[in-house]
Amino acid sequence: MEFLGLVNYALFMAIFIAIYALLALGLNIQWGFAGLFNAGIAGFFAVGAYTSAILTSPAAEGRLGGFELISPLGWIGAMIAAALVAWPIGKICLRFRSDYLAIASIGIAEIIRLVIKSEPALTNGARGIPGIPRPFGDLGYMESQVAYLIIVLAVLIAVYVLVERQFNAPWGRMMRAIRDNEDAAKAMGKDVEFRRLEAFIFGAALMGLGGALFAHFNRSITPEAIDPMVATFLVWIMLILGGSGNNRGAILGAAVVWIIWSVSEIATDQLPHEYAVQAKYIRLFLIGLMLQLVLRFRPEGLLPEPLRGDQRAAKSEADR
Amino acid sequence: MKTKFLALAAGLMAATALASAPAQADVKIGLVGGVSGPIAAMAPAMIDAAQLAVQQVNEQGGIGDGETLSGVVGDSACNPQNGTDAATKAVNIEGVVGLVGPHCSGAVLAAAGSVTIPAGVVLVTPSGTSPEITGLEDNDTVFRTVPSDDYQGRALARTLKEQGYEKVAVAYLNNDYGTGLANAFRTEFADQLGGEITQFAAHEEGKASYRSNLAELAKGGADTLVIFDYGDGTGLTILRQALENGFFEKFVGGDGMKSDAVINELGAENLATFVASSPVGEASESLDVFNAAFTGVGGDPDAIFANTSYDAAFMLALALEKNGGQKDGLGAALRSISTGEGEPIMPGEWSKAKELIAAGTAIDYKGAAGDHNFDENGDVPGTFALFEVGSDGFEVLTQMK
Repeated sequence: MEFLGLVNYALFMAIFIAIYALLALGLNIQWGFAGLFNAGIAGFFAVGAYTSAILTSPAAEGRLGGFELISPLGWIGAMIAAALVAWPIGKICLRFRSDYLAIASIGIAEIIRLVIKSEPALTNGARGIPGIPRPFGDLGYMESQVAYLIIVLAVLIAVYVLVERQFNAPWGRMMRAIRDNEDAAKAMGKDVEFRRLEAFIFGAALMGLGGALFAHFNRSITPEAIDPMVATFLVWIMLILGGSGNNRGAILGAAVVWIIWSVSEIATDQLPHEYAVQAKYIRLFLIGLMLQLVLRFRPEGLLPEPLRGDQRAAKSEADR
Repeated sequence: MKTKFLALAAGLMAATALASAPAQADVKIGLVGGVSGPIAAMAPAMIDAAQLAVQQVNEQGGIGDGETLSGVVGDSACNPQNGTDAATKAVNIEGVVGLVGPHCSGAVLAAAGSVTIPAGVVLVTPSGTSPEITGLEDNDTVFRTVPSDDYQGRALARTLKEQGYEKVAVAYLNNDYGTGLANAFRTEFADQLGGEITQFAAHEEGKASYRSNLAELAKGGADTLVIFDYGDGTGLTILRQALENGFFEKFVGGDGMKSDAVINELGAENLATFVASSPVGEASESLDVFNAAFTGVGGDPDAIFANTSYDAAFMLALALEKNGGQKDGLGAALRSISTGEGEPIMPGEWSKAKELIAAGTAIDYKGAAGDHNFDENGDVPGTFALFEVGSDGFEVLTQMK
C-alpha cells in the first residue's frame, strides 16, 4: 500500500461521498423537512443519470442520443427531467400518507427501472449507455479524480448553501409547520398540497443531479446501478444516521456510512484467506448493526435537527 | 448521552480501523466479483476457480524468481457503485497488477471507465457478455474470456441457415441474456442471410402456461421455434407445451437451453428434432483437464463461468510471467501468450509454460473454455457447436462458424 494509492482511494471515496451527500440532501428536503416518505430515490437517480447520459454521450445506433452537449448542460437537463418526472408522481401519490407513500414510491422506482431496462430505443435497454464524457477525464488518473472532486464539491457546496438558506427562510418554517401539524398549517391558510409537491419536486431534482454526477464519474450508466439497495436504502441509512432535518447531518451521514461501507471491506480482508468470500457479507451486517445501534441509542441521528424558536428558548432555560 | 454516543462512534471506527498492513505477497491480482447481490449464488465457484489457477501457479514455481502470486478477493455486488469501489481498493490499496472481474457487465463498464483504464491496469472479465464492452476505448487494457452475446446469436443464425432452416419463429426471455441473443440472431438471420422470421416475441419468466404465447408464435406458419431461454426454467415449460400441443415441429435453443433438465424432464425420444448451441469448450481436452483439477479441490466444474474465470486468472498469470510481473505492457503480453501459434499450453501446465517463456519460445494457451485468441477489441470470438440429443445426452451435430 503506497502513499499515492491511498490518496487515490481517498479521492475516490470523497467523490462518492459528495454524490451520496447530494442524494441525502434531496431526501432531507422530502423527509427531513416536508415529512414525505419517499422510498423511490433510485428512480429519480436513474432519470437524472440517463437524461444526462443521453444529452452528453456521442451518437449510437439504435437509441436516442448524439446531442453531445457539454456536461453542465447535461446536469441541468438531469435536474429538469427528474423534476418533470416527479411532478405527475407527486400530484398523484402525495395524497397518500407516510407508509402508503413509501409503498407507492417503491413501486414507481421499480416502474422507472423496468422502463429503462425494456426501452432500447430510449436507453439502450439492459446494456446501458457507455462513453459518457467525464469533465477533465483526459488527464491522468489522479489529476482527473482531483478535478472531478473539485467539481462535485463545488456543486455540493452550492446546493448546501442554497438548501440551508431555503430552510432558514419563511419557506422552511412553513414546511416544518406542515410536517408537524398539517391541520394547523392549513388553518393558517397554507396550501398544503402545493407545498408538499414543491418539496417533492425540489428533492427529486437534487437526486437527479446526484445520478448525473454518478454517471459522468463512471463514464457509463447501466440498469444495474438502479439497485434499490445502493441507490435507495443506503441513502436512507445515511440520512437517518446523520440526522434527518439537518443538512450538515445529511452530509455527515453520507460520509460516515460510505466510509464504513467501503473501508470495512479492507478490514474483513484481514481474515484468513479461506474466508475471503464469506467475509464480504460482514459489511452488510455492519451497516445493519450500525442502523440498529443508532436507532436504539440516538434516534435523532448524529447531528439532530437544530432546535428553533420556542423550543430553543425552552432548552436553554432547562440547561441553566 | 454524550458518552454513549462517543462509545458508539468509537466502536464503529474500531471495527473499520482493523485494517493493518495487508499480508505481504509478491505479485497480486484482484479477483473482483459479485459475491453479494443478484449473482451471489454463482460468484463463489467463479472465484474458487480463479483461486485454483493462483494455487497451481504457486505450487509450480510461482511468478519469475519464485515470487508468490496472490488473489485478492473484492466484492463488486453486481452493481457499478460497489464495482468501482472494489476495483479502486484493489488497484490502490492492494496494488494489484491485473484484475479478474468484475462479473456483471454494468460493473465492468463502470470499473473500467473510472478506475482501470485511467490507472492503466489490465482487466479480464470472465462473465461480462455485454456488446458495449467491445467498444470501450481502453488502451488495450480490457479483455474478456467469455464471448460477447453478439457472437453466439450470429453464429447460430449462420449455422441454422446452412442446415436448411428457412422460416422460424423466435421466443426469448425478456432480460439482457435473452434480448441480446435474440437481437443478434435476428440481425444475422433475417437482415444478412435473408431467412424469414415469422414471429419475434419476448416472454416473461415463471408463468404456468405459455400456450397463448405459443399460439401467437405459431401464426406465421413457421415449423421451427427458436428459444432463447433457460432449459431448467421457463424455457423448459415452453418446450414442453409446444411439444404437447404440436405447435411446432423443430426446436432450436441457445446455450441456456442446453441443459440436462430438458432431457430428464421430456425424455430423449421426444427431442429428436431439438438442437441447441453451446460454447465448444465443452468438448475439448483442456476442459477435461480443468474439470479434473477443479473437482480435485472440491469445486463443481459444471458451475457456470467457472472455466472462463479459471482461464482469465491463468492467462493473467502467464502474461505476468512473460512481462516480468510488471503492470506496464501487460495487455500486450496477454495477447502474446495466446495467438494461436506456438507451443500449446493446457490448463495447469504452469511449470512447462514457465520454462518455455524463460527460453523465449512462443506459447499458445488452450483454455478450458476455448482458445482465447483475443481480437483487436480484447474479445474472444468464441467457437460454438450445435448439439443434438442422442442416447447419451447431448452430442455434437456440427461446429458453428
